[in-house]
Amino acid sequence: MTNLIVRNSIRFVFLVLFQVLILNNINLGGYTNPYLYVYFILLLPFFTPRWLLLILAFLLGISIDLFTNTYGLNAAATVLMAFCRPYVIRAISREPEEDLGNQPSLRLEGFTWFFSYSVILILIHHTALFYLEIFRFTEFFQTLLRVLTSTAFTLVLVFISELLFYSRGNTKR
Amino acid sequence: MRNLFLFFRKHYFIFLFLFLEVLSLILFFRNNTFQNAVIFDWTSGISGGINALYRNISEYFSLKETNLILGEENALLHARMPEAIYLADKAILTRNDTLYQSEYRFINARVISNTTNKRNNYLMINKGSLQGVEPHMGVIIGDKIVGQVVNVSQHFSWVLSLLHKESKISARFLKNNQMISVEWLGGDYRTCVVKEIPKHLHVEPGDTVVTSGNSEVFPNGILIGVIDQLHVYKDENFNTATVTLLTDFNALGYVEVVVDMFREEKEQLKASFEEL
Repeated sequence: MTNLIVRNSIRFVFLVLFQVLILNNINLGGYTNPYLYVYFILLLPFFTPRWLLLILAFLLGISIDLFTNTYGLNAAATVLMAFCRPYVIRAISREPEEDLGNQPSLRLEGFTWFFSYSVILILIHHTALFYLEIFRFTEFFQTLLRVLTSTAFTLVLVFISELLFYSRGNTKR
Repeated sequence: MRNLFLFFRKHYFIFLFLFLEVLSLILFFRNNTFQNAVIFDWTSGISGGINALYRNISEYFSLKETNLILGEENALLHARMPEAIYLADKAILTRNDTLYQSEYRFINARVISNTTNKRNNYLMINKGSLQGVEPHMGVIIGDKIVGQVVNVSQHFSWVLSLLHKESKISARFLKNNQMISVEWLGGDYRTCVVKEIPKHLHVEPGDTVVTSGNSEVFPNGILIGVIDQLHVYKDENFNTATVTLLTDFNALGYVEVVVDMFREEKEQLKASFEEL
């Protein structure tokens, strides 16, 4: 349990720093920004209390906001995403939650499950994020394009991390 | 009460979510001016529409009062109409010499170009010889001085502004009729000077300077300005003073050209005198 808290805390700090120091400076074609920090929310254990889920999402978002001077923007998107997480898990799982294991992972849950899980949540997060930032519907399709390309980019990074760090051996935590 | 508490406990997830989401959005909109401006635009559009509707309806309740005010205003305006004033003037004029009435005629004109920032300033007006404008006629705005016509074409006239090296206006103090002459030395278009004020004259700041009526250019008593500062020179015979002009030369719209009906007669008389 302590191990789990330490592991998640380290991941929290690492993802925030990785996001603000490296990924925020990546901007493909003026459209595409990866937001890998949501990977933290994706990987939280299944048995995380729901209130903790929301609080952690808020803290994560506000930490990113502190570095990018957009107070509340990332927090709002991340809290929305965390709110949807339990419902998404329930919607896409065939077996009861107890049988899913400790935390969502590509290896344990299979490609289809993990893919739909991350696509839906990342899409929710990015849609909220980009539309809040633009805040007008006149550029609707331009923003939609940004949402879709950024989602694809973030998804690729999530899968790469999944394959790099959680592919074997360390699923029992 | 207990049920309410249970309700909150049962749905705490949604309430916590709403709380955090609203908190984030408040933070976001408070600190980001663009989003703030858009929100203000929406809300003010809505509130503005409601206010306008309210105003439209509430206006009907004060129609009676508004009518009364408008009626009073109408009466006031009627009293100011030229007809009303003319009638009043006529009553006085009949007691005076009838010639007095027709000594000056005025041609209304619009200023179409004007300068104030040069040493020698001119202005152009949209009336010319076809409308009866001739060189040497004076130009005034209301009861204040502007300049003198120097050049006339069929439809337009050049007016030498008071703000000119050549303009030297024959003037007098309103309070004691003492003759002086007003010049402009360049610089600020709001002030000019009076040179050669005799030492014995008691002049104070605030004294009004008007035209003398001695030349054929301006009628008697056209306002020029107000004494601003008196300069006393101990070893000279005359004092000088700066005058704040009453005319705003930078904002001339419609002016009047002064037509002296007896100009020819006066000039003939002067010429015959000089021949002697």
